Amino acid sequence: MALPVAKYEDKALIRTRTQWCWFTGLIVLLFVLPLFGGGKVVGIMNIIGVTVIAVVGLQINVGYAGQISMGQSTFMGVGAYSAAALTLHLNLPVWITIPMAGITSAVFGAIFGLAAVRIKGFYLALTTIAAQFVFYFTMLKLPKRWFGRLEGLRIEPASVLGFSFDTDLKMYYMIFIVVIFMCYGAWSLVRSRTGRALVALRDNENAANIIGIDVVYYKFLSFFIGAFYGGVAGALWAFYVRYVHADQFTIWLSIWYLGMLIVGGNASILGAILGTVLIRLLQELMTSLGPLLVEISLVSRIGEQVVFASMNMLLGLIIILFVIFEPRGLVYRLNIIRESYRMWPFRP
Amino acid sequence: MITLLSHVVSGGLTGFLYALIAMGFVIIYRSSKMFNLAQGEILMIGAFLVWSFAQYFGLPLWLSILLAFAVSFVVGLFIERFIFRPLVGEELFTLFMVTLGLMIFIRGFALVVWGAEVHFFPAVFPMAGVRAGPFMLDRGLVIGAGITIFLAILISWIFNHTRRGLEMTAVAEDHQIALSLGLNVKRSIAVAWGVSGVLSTLAAIIFLSGKGMSILVTDIGLGAVPVAFLAGVESVGGLILAGLLMGISMGLAEYFLDPVFEGGVAAVFPYIVMIVVLLLRPSGLFGWKTIERI
Repeated sequence: MALPVAKYEDKALIRTRTQWCWFTGLIVLLFVLPLFGGGKVVGIMNIIGVTVIAVVGLQINVGYAGQISMGQSTFMGVGAYSAAALTLHLNLPVWITIPMAGITSAVFGAIFGLAAVRIKGFYLALTTIAAQFVFYFTMLKLPKRWFGRLEGLRIEPASVLGFSFDTDLKMYYMIFIVVIFMCYGAWSLVRSRTGRALVALRDNENAANIIGIDVVYYKFLSFFIGAFYGGVAGALWAFYVRYVHADQFTIWLSIWYLGMLIVGGNASILGAILGTVLIRLLQELMTSLGPLLVEISLVSRIGEQVVFASMNMLLGLIIILFVIFEPRGLVYRLNIIRESYRMWPFRP
Repeated sequence: MITLLSHVVSGGLTGFLYALIAMGFVIIYRSSKMFNLAQGEILMIGAFLVWSFAQYFGLPLWLSILLAFAVSFVVGLFIERFIFRPLVGEELFTLFMVTLGLMIFIRGFALVVWGAEVHFFPAVFPMAGVRAGPFMLDRGLVIGAGITIFLAILISWIFNHTRRGLEMTAVAEDHQIALSLGLNVKRSIAVAWGVSGVLSTLAAIIFLSGKGMSILVTDIGLGAVPVAFLAGVESVGGLILAGLLMGISMGLAEYFLDPVFEGGVAAVFPYIVMIVVLLLRPSGLFGWKTIERI
């Protein structure tokens, strides 16, 4: 009997007509939403877009390959600095600087991936913290001509063929296209032979080694890919904010990114996106709720600080509760809902 | 020559302080196989507790320190009961992630209760320095170094020679196996958290005596990570040597490299030492060597 061969249609990311409708609807919605939303909405969506790229990369590195990394914000920083420096010093066009920034960051990340070959578990996670300190130190010590030291780097808006990305809205479409591109890449990657190898590596390193997976290569690769995504996110950040400084990329950013992964769901690209959107929106709420309450004079100025701090507590609590009660994250809940919708009126 | 030596001596003393903070990490790891990244936050709580009792409520210093020890013990038990107990036997990744949530939570909590402004920590030790030969030394650090050495030897003895300590060691080896041997995993982890809370408060007192403090104190928690890893997270006794080594190498780095890089080397140097040591010996200088495959 011949083994069933997967047809091209079976391998497609989007298989049914319903899925196509949902997908097209979502893309159209995301495309037109900023046109109707105010300036603030576009700003928030831009930051979410940049963060999604970084967190999706982290998902591949941490969620799929199981190599805990606390360096994602550092990798973003490396990307941002290289994009800014390439633009400023070499006048390279934006469609070259973004991939170049990704690759620079990926090489930096891969150096820490080499450490992962010998260092494991907690040790590895804490070793990647070192990346943070090394990055910060280096950026403020290298010649001022290169990276501006304490003053950071200021860059002009990116432009392609004379079209300048000088407003939030124009940047939104650039980020939007890159997000779609990177997410498609991630989805394809995790379904591929490489993705399965990474999962095997996460589940049991020795077993993976015995069935012929090159552990060293794939650990290296997982950091390379994760840092590449971080670098691209950093480059977009640089073109969006147009100012790069080492202070922007703190260890807290890395910690938040890991928090987004937990809330979204481990080892799922959709989970990474969901977690990012939810936590980012809560963070926006956190910074704007206090002033808002002051404006409608519900709380005093001192109360504003308390509101901000309590929102911090709430976010920490959300992460803790997700780890304890729903370690599979939002995406698991979503799948249950989707399944029961599909099976209705039967129980799944 | 004298400046060089004084860098070495003061570096060594600071190293002991880091060793004491790192002891908080090691005790929890040594008895529960969890790496508590929120150690700096727990230290901050201890510091704020001492401040609250002494300055805000105006209690005598000795009483407020004792009260702070007691409360931080309870805080440790509390964290263990509500956050880590449901996770006994979970994989490392989960345990690691929950400490990140804890970090964010405690920071928010401290902001709500104590605010973001700078408080002045009461001077527990006399402010005047100690003169030893040609060097002027910080009295708090000298006393702290003595306490650290004493505690490291004591705790190391407890872990290696008493029944309770050996039980904790067994729990650190493997939660499931310890459970199946009839050991009380929960109690072992709870005691470790309580003791770690008290040690953090002690470290906070030595570190902050007579200085200003704010929520930024937490950074020292991450600063102690390289010392813990240099020793290997399972070894309490090794911390003394690791702290001393790290402190002295930091002092030397300050002396020789700061002029080259215009300062700031001390912040990054421990991490570089840590990476190099871990690459050569993945389980630190004195950590347990586990056999993963034959």
